[in-house]
Amino acid sequence: MTAYLVSMLTFTGFFMILALALNLQWGMTGMVNFGIAGFYALGAYTSGLLTAKLGWPVGLAMPTAVAAGFVAGGLIALLSLRLREDFFAIVTLGFGEIMRLIALNEDEITEGPRGLKIDARPFAGMFDRELYPIVYLILVASVVALAFIVVECIRRAPLGRTLRAIREDDVVAEVLGKNVLLHRVTVFAIGGAFMGAAGALYAHYVQNISPEVFMPMVAIFIWMSVIVGGAGNNWGLLIGAGIVMTILEGTRFIGDFVDILDAEKLSALRIILIGTLLIIILRVKQGGLLPEQRFTYKGSQESGRTETQTSNA
Amino acid sequence: MQNAISRRTALKGGAAAVAMTLAAPTILRADEAISIGSLTPNTGGGGPFGPNITASHKRVADLVNSQGGVLGREIRLFQENSETNPETAVRAADKLINVNKVLGILGTWSSSVTLGIMPRCQEAGVIQMCTSSSADIPARDQKGLVFNFQALSPVWGRAIGDLSLRRGFETFNVMALNNDFTGSMIDGFVGVVGRDKILVEPFYYNGGQASYRSEVTQLIGEDPEAVFIPAYVTDFTSVYKEIFRQGYEGQVISVSIATTPAFKDVIGDAANGIIHGVPVPPITSPAYKEYLTEAGLEDTGSVQHPFGTAGRDQMSVLLLAMEKAGTTDTAEIAKAIWDVTTGEGKKTVYNVTDGLAAIRAGEEINYSGASSSIEFDEEGMVLGRDFQLAEIRDGKDVVIERLEF
Repeated sequence: MTAYLVSMLTFTGFFMILALALNLQWGMTGMVNFGIAGFYALGAYTSGLLTAKLGWPVGLAMPTAVAAGFVAGGLIALLSLRLREDFFAIVTLGFGEIMRLIALNEDEITEGPRGLKIDARPFAGMFDRELYPIVYLILVASVVALAFIVVECIRRAPLGRTLRAIREDDVVAEVLGKNVLLHRVTVFAIGGAFMGAAGALYAHYVQNISPEVFMPMVAIFIWMSVIVGGAGNNWGLLIGAGIVMTILEGTRFIGDFVDILDAEKLSALRIILIGTLLIIILRVKQGGLLPEQRFTYKGSQESGRTETQTSNA
Repeated sequence: MQNAISRRTALKGGAAAVAMTLAAPTILRADEAISIGSLTPNTGGGGPFGPNITASHKRVADLVNSQGGVLGREIRLFQENSETNPETAVRAADKLINVNKVLGILGTWSSSVTLGIMPRCQEAGVIQMCTSSSADIPARDQKGLVFNFQALSPVWGRAIGDLSLRRGFETFNVMALNNDFTGSMIDGFVGVVGRDKILVEPFYYNGGQASYRSEVTQLIGEDPEAVFIPAYVTDFTSVYKEIFRQGYEGQVISVSIATTPAFKDVIGDAANGIIHGVPVPPITSPAYKEYLTEAGLEDTGSVQHPFGTAGRDQMSVLLLAMEKAGTTDTAEIAKAIWDVTTGEGKKTVYNVTDGLAAIRAGEEINYSGASSSIEFDEEGMVLGRDFQLAEIRDGKDVVIERLEF
């Protein structure tokens, strides 16, 4: 049971990293990214291929995957120069599908639908079989923590204020002298880098990746996590990711108790539960479980300009 | 401060979620039972076949339990849906291996799922029994724990190619759904009919497209006498509509998993004339007849449940091997799987009840199954299944050719 919990926490960790990246891009900056699965795939295949085909050490391949995500994110965001938000969303969706189709069709490089087998693992051979999953969980948790700190620092920093201004109205931000495009590119690149990191961690964890893993459904789960948890609130989406994973996995155990619910009904029930949860939460708490903390300008009664946080919950 | 309360709520929420997951399975652990996992494609691309496999696993396990189990212990079956998706399947396999402590995972169907969970299973020493056709499966099984109850896909391609030649077709074009199973049929097919009879370079198409217009135009280019399209039912329906729309008059050949009753319902009369092939249970075999009774089906003379029959054989073989090995050590059971299925001069049994009785009486047995006679090569791949070619006439499958192994 411990092994299973460790494994599920690790999977939740992947979701959390992706959700944090999405929160930075969408929750804080308002850039819709439906191509999460594409960045995830890019990271996974970059690190997987470099180790499996070129024999790179994992310690070098994983950072390269992060760099690949960073560059791809930046390049995609450059498109936002000429695209309005909703059209940009379609571009990201296209990017996700393109990555999957490349992985599927360039089978001389990626092994295509057969799937890529990855033997290399970080810290391989340093820990025994019982201990290794825990070490991996710690590795993933560290990346979650790092992503959290980075995203949270951006949120609190003046940069975060600018991003929120861009989210609410990019024209106003532009008029106030902010370089909107540069901010968008930066944010998308950082988000892409984290998604790439999540992909690389995933690839070396499951050790077998195929294009079918990176279906748009992955993106939907991450969107769920962010919406349920509370867009713009980094604590909230950690809970959101936990809840989505708990529903996905927790429902498996119902089948062990209740005979009339077979595997087929359960997997339908799982998706129904997630959908219902989303509707209820959006009905009861529009901002998600932990809504974004609003910054309000308090005025200058005492020592000049101060900002305080209040919640709109 | 509002912020602090939010954080506390966060921790509470997290703790509750963990506690919920922790509490659930501890209640149901039965110490004496032998746990076996069933991971079947009950939805997604394998959706038409998964439920039959699931039901077969359960029937055999229930039957053996009603007769006192194996090694004097009850069989506890844990069923999960792979959704024909390796991402979901890995998490399901994690649960089966680590929580339910299964010693085998049976019933994976799509090659990507079988291969996806393989690193997990190999590491934990869990036996895999599948009906997947990827040639990579034996190559990646380093511990000799994987047993495939399905012919590898090059075999499908060769058999369909052979049967097509017998029908007298002279020129062909080929396009295959780009996945491991259907994609690798191309080589087998082309190898048998000869490259010179293929007019346009064989190619792959991607599933899930809104339109297959350009693919079909390319496929029927130069007007071949027949086209071969290995596909799943989900995309073949759209592909075939497009073929019909473009007015192709030659012979359409596919695999039977693409021409399910659902396909025939949707396509109607236009489906008449399609030829399709599939490895089939030996329909004269006593085991297949027993299967029909167990599943409550009538003997129609044509093949039913090509994968459900394999499900029955998977569970039966595993339980027989366990009884034979006299232990739940998976390496020993894997060795015993050859003992109870392969080799001559043994007593042939057609079901698990007779098999268990014979093993307990000290006899050597050879299990002959409902999906094939079940003989494994040294890599754990099933040696031969009968192969049949059927034609859709008036919405029904009529067998036109059969290859027997």
